[in-house]
Amino acid sequence: MTLIETPTTTSETLATVEEPARRRRLPKRRVLVYLFTVFFLVTLNFFLPRTLTGDPIAVLAGSTSTGKGASVELSPAAKTKLMAYYGLDKPLITQYGHYLRGLAHGDLGTSIKYNVPVTRLLKNKVKWSAVLVLTAVGLATVLGTLAGIHSGWRRGKGVDRGLLGVFIAVGNFPAYVLAMFALVVFVLKLHWFPAGGAQTPYAHYALLRNWVDIAWHVILPAAVMSLNFLFLQYLVMRGAMVAELGSDYLVLGRVKGLSQRSLKYRYAARNALLPVATVVALNLGLAMGTSLFVERVFKYPGVAGLMFDSISNRDYPTMQGCFLLISVMVVTVNFIADFIYPRLDPRVSS
Amino acid sequence: MSVDSPARTDVVDDAPPARRRRRPGPRARLLEALGPERRAALRAPLVVAGGIIFAVFVIVGVLAPLLAPYDPKAISGNSFAHPSWSHLLGTNGAGQDLFSQLIWGTRFSLTVAVVSATAATLVGVVIGMGGALIGGWADSAANGLVNVSLAQPPLIAAVLILALAGPSITVLIIVITLAGWAPVARIVRAEALSLRERGFVHAARGFGGGPFYLLRRHLAPAVGPLIVAGWVDWAAVAVLLESGLAFLGLGDPTRVSWGTMLDGAFRLNVITLDKVWVWWVLPAGLAITVVVVGFTLLGVGLEPVFNPRTDRGRDA
Repeated sequence: MTLIETPTTTSETLATVEEPARRRRLPKRRVLVYLFTVFFLVTLNFFLPRTLTGDPIAVLAGSTSTGKGASVELSPAAKTKLMAYYGLDKPLITQYGHYLRGLAHGDLGTSIKYNVPVTRLLKNKVKWSAVLVLTAVGLATVLGTLAGIHSGWRRGKGVDRGLLGVFIAVGNFPAYVLAMFALVVFVLKLHWFPAGGAQTPYAHYALLRNWVDIAWHVILPAAVMSLNFLFLQYLVMRGAMVAELGSDYLVLGRVKGLSQRSLKYRYAARNALLPVATVVALNLGLAMGTSLFVERVFKYPGVAGLMFDSISNRDYPTMQGCFLLISVMVVTVNFIADFIYPRLDPRVSS
Repeated sequence: MSVDSPARTDVVDDAPPARRRRRPGPRARLLEALGPERRAALRAPLVVAGGIIFAVFVIVGVLAPLLAPYDPKAISGNSFAHPSWSHLLGTNGAGQDLFSQLIWGTRFSLTVAVVSATAATLVGVVIGMGGALIGGWADSAANGLVNVSLAQPPLIAAVLILALAGPSITVLIIVITLAGWAPVARIVRAEALSLRERGFVHAARGFGGGPFYLLRRHLAPAVGPLIVAGWVDWAAVAVLLESGLAFLGLGDPTRVSWGTMLDGAFRLNVITLDKVWVWWVLPAGLAITVVVVGFTLLGVGLEPVFNPRTDRGRDA
């Protein structure tokens, strides 16, 4: 009897005892946490700039948050006028109410740099972000699942070990390092892909040619991104596959004389496929974070690129709009991930 | 299981939280307590490899002033000088020595990673353990905080805070700490909650043991291994976050890190210059990757030691 062993037994008993109760309670609590998280993000988005930046008018006039590099010195009168114009002279709670009301109407404020509503800026960018993120997650799902099936089926063999090693190695490269390497090799040395952007500029192609052009631009950034989370999909699929290996139905199938191929894909893989859905949703969340780097390296015109652009321009409303959009999307996608699994698996019904 | 048998109290009394005091006696006892299988795992190739990588980078970071031939921010040569004996990795656009930047970058990146991983672990332990020990509303509040924090995308919030507050090493550490405390808190809370109901803790409480006594004698030794595992995991993420934020132009502008090196290279479009990326981008990128791999190896290798439940799933 040693002290260190105690937590093991404890957590195991705890898990078995508490699991049914927790599963029943899960949905309602999850919804509450989700709603509260979104509210928290919205509130954070309101208060962070007001606590961290100091004088918003000075920021507007071109100085930085630390007070250095003021380009315009405003007279007190002009300042008061500007404060009133932006509603900053009102009490904080009134401002907060105004902000929430605006948000409910889909108003994210006006970009300082471009002087257009932030929502309009975002609308132009969301399309490209969706193209990039969905392509990346799609690639990661297909490749990760196939590799996982193969690896799990051949568990412990050379192929399995090789794939595991490759995915661990690649998965540890930071996205921006991988992106820069990919840019050097595939764009600058081999000239296989265009250097950046989402489309060939000033080219007006017919519909099909246009799609090919978009695909040609998105494939390298998406591949780089997918390498970043392929690992997760691969590991989950491999683990699920391994869990199926000893199953009775596989033994029966073998006795019946089914081909290896059929046993592998139509029987084992089909049963092991469920966790993939959860990982897809998780990967969507991860992809939105990774896109920050990849969009920068490949100059891809998505939301993350806009966010980075607004940071260098100190365009606070745009920055906040991007933050709110990306973080609420990530939180929502993760929330959906929690729900997908029980819905897909009839065995895990509540 | 007799709680007050002499052998049992012996172990309990003499096993202090291993992360605090490093006397050889208790550590040997802790190793003894881990059992032969987990002790072997500590010596597994993964852990050894990860440990060596970490140790090498720590040594480089500590000895940075001795190893680096130049002040990383001083102009010590021509612009874009190719590698030579005086500049092992050449110079950047401003004529600063890239090899010295790489060495000093090690110190900065590791400092940020170690400090913020430690801070995140501490905050996580205090909130997780505090909530579990006090119970009631404090536990509900702590748990709610953990859930909300876990739902955040860490990178996006970090970017916004850094962009608004202005990048500095303090803000950087705070931001990375804020992103990382919640997983630790969740694990520690779950462990503390289950321990609280265990027979020997009940017994100790029955004998009049106060909360701090329970914490020191019973909870800390059990939770300690989880804390170490959490620390290693977050240190890897912290390196990635720090250099990633620096790459996005949000690093501390007064210091040199691997991320700022990459940012600088990217801003000058160095990758389009023939060969320059080989001694500028490649070393910095590899340094980040190797450190992260080191932490990951440590984490993966330590997993069976600290979380014996993974043993069953481990098959390959």
